Amino acid sequence: MATNVQQVAVSKPGASSGSQGNASEYVVRVPNDPLKKYSMIKFASGTDIDFLKLSHGKVKMERENNLRQYKTIYNLDAMPKFGAGSEYGREQKEEARRKKYGINIKKYNPNDQPWLMKVGDGKDCKRYKGVREGTISENTSYYIFTKCADGAFEAFPIEEWYNFQPVVKYKYLNSEEAEEEFSRRDKTMNLFSIMVRKRIKNEEETEEKPEDKKDKKKDKKSLILTDMEDWMETEDEEEEEEEAEEGAEKKPKKEKKEEKTKRRKNAKINADDEAVEESDEGDFDDRELDYISDSGSESSLDEKAKNDKYDDQGVDQEKGLKKLIDSEEESSEEENKEEDEEDEEEEAEKEAQSKKEKKKKKDSKENNKEGGESDSSSSSSDSDDSDIDKNEDKFSSVLFMQEKKRSSRPNTPTVEKLEIKTEPKSEGGIKRKIEAEEGGAEKKVRTESPAPSLKTSASSSSISSSGEITEEAIRHYLTRRPMTAKELVQKFKAKKSQMSNEQLTQKIGQLLKKINPGRKYIKGVMYLSLEKTE
Amino acid sequence: MSQPPEEESARPLRDVDLRAAERGVWLVKVPKYLSEKWKRASGKGEVGKLKIISTKIPGAQPEVTFSMNEAQAQVQVPGRGTATPKEHKFKLTGVGNQNLVVFSENKGEGTTAAEITERIAIEGKVIQRAECQPVVDKSYMQLKKRHVEDSNKPKREIKQITGVVTTYKPVSNHAANIEHEKKIKEGGKRIRDERDVVTNKLFEIFEKHQYYNIQDLVRLTNQPVVSRYGLFNR
Repeated sequence: MATNVQQVAVSKPGASSGSQGNASEYVVRVPNDPLKKYSMIKFASGTDIDFLKLSHGKVKMERENNLRQYKTIYNLDAMPKFGAGSEYGREQKEEARRKKYGINIKKYNPNDQPWLMKVGDGKDCKRYKGVREGTISENTSYYIFTKCADGAFEAFPIEEWYNFQPVVKYKYLNSEEAEEEFSRRDKTMNLFSIMVRKRIKNEEETEEKPEDKKDKKKDKKSLILTDMEDWMETEDEEEEEEEAEEGAEKKPKKEKKEEKTKRRKNAKINADDEAVEESDEGDFDDRELDYISDSGSESSLDEKAKNDKYDDQGVDQEKGLKKLIDSEEESSEEENKEEDEEDEEEEAEKEAQSKKEKKKKKDSKENNKEGGESDSSSSSSDSDDSDIDKNEDKFSSVLFMQEKKRSSRPNTPTVEKLEIKTEPKSEGGIKRKIEAEEGGAEKKVRTESPAPSLKTSASSSSISSSGEITEEAIRHYLTRRPMTAKELVQKFKAKKSQMSNEQLTQKIGQLLKKINPGRKYIKGVMYLSLEKTE
Repeated sequence: MSQPPEEESARPLRDVDLRAAERGVWLVKVPKYLSEKWKRASGKGEVGKLKIISTKIPGAQPEVTFSMNEAQAQVQVPGRGTATPKEHKFKLTGVGNQNLVVFSENKGEGTTAAEITERIAIEGKVIQRAECQPVVDKSYMQLKKRHVEDSNKPKREIKQITGVVTTYKPVSNHAANIEHEKKIKEGGKRIRDERDVVTNKLFEIFEKHQYYNIQDLVRLTNQPVVSRYGLFNR
């Protein structure tokens, strides 16, 4: 019923009706456009944004799409709808079930989702997120009065209010951390370091998680009973972190390492054949704490037996744990030989097999020595241990040493069967010789290195363990197997850490001149060796 | 829902029309009864006049009065009386340090497009806030009195009914049931097909889903249950 609409004087600032000031009258219109919907953006206080000042004037807005989150919350899409794992009629069943229990899921309304606004271009754009504000009161409504070109006012109702906040992509401290830092605020000079520290912590945590699993595994196996073992583990953790990415396969390797490092602590480790060593005072101390190991505290040991003690494998190789670790060790052995040569794998398998047949080890200790001799003779041609620089190689060589020893042992259930044992050993030795001559890789040599190590003649052990750089010692080393000068130096370094590098090298050089060992060039590296004189 | 199958990915951002971004607008709080009347504005939508008197006293806010049209004032709002005050004052306040911007969504005309195209435009920035307050007069008092009475009424009432209430009388057998039984009788028992045929059918069925209920399978293959089991066991 459009009745007379009164026209009104428009926009002319009419003559003032009062003495106060100018009065002007405007028409107010409330257009009724059903298609246009007005909403209010409220920016958080302090947010500096002005659409006027935007030089390039690029603003984009869009609703956030939370459909995926909505579905995961209500488990709507959890099960596959067809194909494997799907049920016939599952959806209908779910719906019927919901109706039966009266469970009402709120429908996902895309128009209720927050707005995402992006101001600016490319790199230096600012993002905002606008969340709807509830409680538009029932008793009031807000209108926007705008002035039109013809001087009239137009009023539009506002239907929704949104609170826009800038989206934060940088990392910030949560409340606990903030409180900590606050308490330290007088002391911190460098605020940058706070976040750096936090980032490092995060990285450690993510690495710890895979570690935790490994630790658990280790715990199951090695039953930490001593501080020593604990100490070992913490050391190992560092190594583990480096390898964390490499996956589960590395677990057994680490255990090996653990045991290698154990050996190191026990035996003032030489990365080489030097398992036999006269015991210094502190060397046997931890033995008594190894509850799992078979080695007990035997004070009345003759020298040989003591050396044999040192020949022992690490805790995890002894009976108690060996079985558990067996399979892994096989695989880990193969892994150590990263330069994959099939020969090496064969060896590993052989050793593993022989390991499996192991029985009493003490009985076979004696056999070790003799068997070792035959081995060393056969393996004199072994060479290539160029990678002494790598710790890994050292450790794995030590490991292989033990394995070798063990492998020799199992073959002799009793003492008498010495010959039987040496035979397979020599066979193995010959094979290995051949393989070595074929241009074995570094690690292959390491597998050989245990063999010479079995040569536990007291004299040699005493020489080397005394730590003196004597001609005898050098001879002893070189007869065992060819080494590079570097290796020699390293050997003595381990024993005599007091001397500086230069002094060591000098002394060794002098002695070498005396001995005048033969020189062999293998793989481009010069090796020194002495022929065995038996 | 008239919307197409729901998409889960983030939608691309739409450009915002910034043409009117410089406009300064007023944000006015309007009482409910007034806004309701305004919504029913007819014709061009004129509802009244705004009179702004700018005082010469520096620092004072100008007086703004809104007077409603005669016609507008007569607009009937269902459920309420027409007695509304005609004169209102605008009480002006500043915006403070709030940053308020108005934007509008313009729903597209046609819904033939796959997506509902909405044009988003910035309509302006709020420079002034105001409250529309009625000048208190008799009609306003009456209005308020009515409001209070309405809100104090209980939401539920007791009414007396005049018509007849439907009751359900017990029936020996419902119509639906009868039909169902008839259907079964006519449909006949499920015949056993050849074993090969049935197994082929089963394979086809299982290509769609992995797990099935026995009853569903029975329905789908039209086999009696016993023979189904037999097939499975073999």
